[in-house]
Amino acid sequence: MSGSASALGDATFLSALLDTLIPSSGKRGMPGAGGLGIERDVAASIAADSAAGLPVGGWLEALYAGTPGFATLPAAERTGAVEAHAATNPAAMQALLRRVYLAYYQHPTVLVAIGEPPRPPFPEGFELEPSDPELLAALKPRQK
Amino acid sequence: MTNEPVGVLIIGAGASGGAFAWSIADLGTSVLCLEQGPWMHQRDYPTNFMDWETRASGPFAPNPNVRRLAQDYPVNDSESPIQPLMFNAVGGSTILWAAHFPRFTPGDFRVRTEDGVADDWPISYETLEPFYTPNDRMMGVSGLAGDPAYPYHEPPLPPLPLGATGNVVARGFERLGWHWWPSDSAIISQEYGGRAPCINLGACGSGCTQGAKASTDITYWPLAERKGVQLRTNCRVKEITVSENGLADGVLYYDADGVLQEQKAEVVVLACNGIGTPRLLLNSRSERFPDGLANSSGLVGKNLMFHPYALIRGIFEENLNSRRGPTGCTFWSHEFYKTDRSRGFVRGYSYEGSRGGGPGMSAVWGMATGRIPWGEGHHEAYARVNGHVAGMVAITEDLPDEANTVTLDPVLTDANGIPAPKVTYTLSENSRRQLAHAVDRGTEALKAAGAVDVQADPLMRTAGWHLMGTARMGTDPARSVVNEWGRAHDVKNLFIIDGSIFVTSAGVNPTSTIQALALYIADSIKKNVGELFA
Ligand SMILES: Cc1cc2nc3c(=O)[nH]c(=O)nc-3n(C[C@H](O)[C@H](O)[C@H](O)COP(=O)(O)OP(=O)(O)OC[C@H]3O[C@@H](n4cnc5c(N)ncnc54)[C@H](O)[C@@H]3O)c2cc1C
Repeated sequence: MSGSASALGDATFLSALLDTLIPSSGKRGMPGAGGLGIERDVAASIAADSAAGLPVGGWLEALYAGTPGFATLPAAERTGAVEAHAATNPAAMQALLRRVYLAYYQHPTVLVAIGEPPRPPFPEGFELEPSDPELLAALKPRQK
Repeated sequence: MTNEPVGVLIIGAGASGGAFAWSIADLGTSVLCLEQGPWMHQRDYPTNFMDWETRASGPFAPNPNVRRLAQDYPVNDSESPIQPLMFNAVGGSTILWAAHFPRFTPGDFRVRTEDGVADDWPISYETLEPFYTPNDRMMGVSGLAGDPAYPYHEPPLPPLPLGATGNVVARGFERLGWHWWPSDSAIISQEYGGRAPCINLGACGSGCTQGAKASTDITYWPLAERKGVQLRTNCRVKEITVSENGLADGVLYYDADGVLQEQKAEVVVLACNGIGTPRLLLNSRSERFPDGLANSSGLVGKNLMFHPYALIRGIFEENLNSRRGPTGCTFWSHEFYKTDRSRGFVRGYSYEGSRGGGPGMSAVWGMATGRIPWGEGHHEAYARVNGHVAGMVAITEDLPDEANTVTLDPVLTDANGIPAPKVTYTLSENSRRQLAHAVDRGTEALKAAGAVDVQADPLMRTAGWHLMGTARMGTDPARSVVNEWGRAHDVKNLFIIDGSIFVTSAGVNPTSTIQALALYIADSIKKNVGELFA
């Protein structure tokens, strides 16, 4: 722990947590979620969820308080700690994952790694495959 | 702001309000619309931004209880398995809609005659046909003429491409010999009326930045304003007021500064959707109408219908780039649309093809369905899912039941202190059986299409897109709220033009029919104007 009093304020903790949830994969060329600088975004959205009544903030604080030195633990121990804590409140875990996944898969580096262009959908948009002519031909005789 | 009395006052600038305003402008009297929301701007829509998926589930979420913008009102949905969804702005819920644009079939207007359940409508497909067609032109509809499930009609624009997802699932239907047809979609496939065609942003549900999707703020409203209709935004109507002779004589509304204003009118028209309209009628109590306005039948707020939805999705080996393209509009199927009692239920459902989610929502869906773990194995599983999903929704016909209601919540209010609606809804046994059937048959279709894995949500919770039945139409004032042209039985100069007046729901999306009804009611008013107060 860095001495900060809260999970959401402790970037080292959050970064380690994100890497636990989405570790890097050399095989797939995917970065870990902890090295992308998305901690602040994730923390802000969790704070907003908590303000809206979702249980995730308090639950995360309990993980933080209950696992001193989380960021320095070996990966397997971090995973074990998160697994055990997730079992205490699956809904909070889902709310956390939702925020982490959205932040991660909106990051340009990640978009490139999964084969998507690193840009918003507008204004370029996307190409769409045309309708299969064989399928349309099959409809012709049924046309009223 | 001046509150000069007007000839026609419309409340709500959504799908029905826009269509009605454009048509009634020809009457030659002053027309004013009060809308609680603002004008939207395409530059603010999520797809302009990298974090478009986060924005789509925040300030552009379809659930007003999640969105909680100043113009929204809360809905107590604690006693409903389906959450009501809507958007409050010029354009109404068409800002977020998917723009599936099926018509009702002729049989949908005669449910009692055909199947001995619910009621027949007092009007027919033929009554609405002259209004469906111009509405298709005004909205800009893409589709393929000749669907054998329908009377012949020609959409003004060629169909949208099916895309890889549509192709793969349609092949499954084709292999089984089941009916399928490219959807009629209120999304333009070519330049039309000064609007640019669809560029497959894949996020119709959070507003169309391209303007290819027909929301009434960009279709009807600019033309209605050009005809002289006044649209006053950020004005929330509190109640409809009545004169001593029992006619509606205007409204009380809160303006953008929260100041209570009075607006007088000769004719009042409600277009607030199947929840907003009964809410306003129930909030309009007076000595003469102690149970709410136009409620002598006791049916205001009753018979709420939603269309219970099932979602059936397949995962395919090939990458279909499945988030690209209009969110929904690919094809539909009426294979199980009509009653076949051997299936164990009456009436039926349609299928509509659907695509996959964006990169973030694919991961969220994979998590929620147990297909994508966190930690080790995340990336492998994600790669199998993202881009590989295609499927369909089943839209089941919801039969009217007086126990399904919109009432006023005793505690909850909006920001102006106006009582908020409460929804009480129980899924019927008939709906349950339809949904189960739809999941089984949908799974069969996806397997025939080559899906390697199929996942189904047998009752979608965040799916109250269609709000119908809460001020039903009929000829008997004891059994209905409005007559066969939308006029309240109890109040001669009060009209309702939104989905509230539906008698039955059919098994397809309602908005094409809502707008055809709005145009038909405007036309009826124009024809009968001399006798309105007689
Ligand atoms: C996410 C989503 C997807 C959908 N997809 C489809 C689809 O693919 N196909 C389809 O057919 N339908 C779809 N729908 C439904 C469709 O949008 C509605 O059927 C249609 O918009 C209803 O039209 P309306 O005029 O009755 O109400 P709305 O369009 O909801 O408009 C009502 C308007 O009234 C205003 N209002 C309410 N109360 C007051 C008040 N007291 N004072 C002032 N103003 C008020 C509201 O702010 C709102 O703008 C979808 C809906 C949603 C939310």
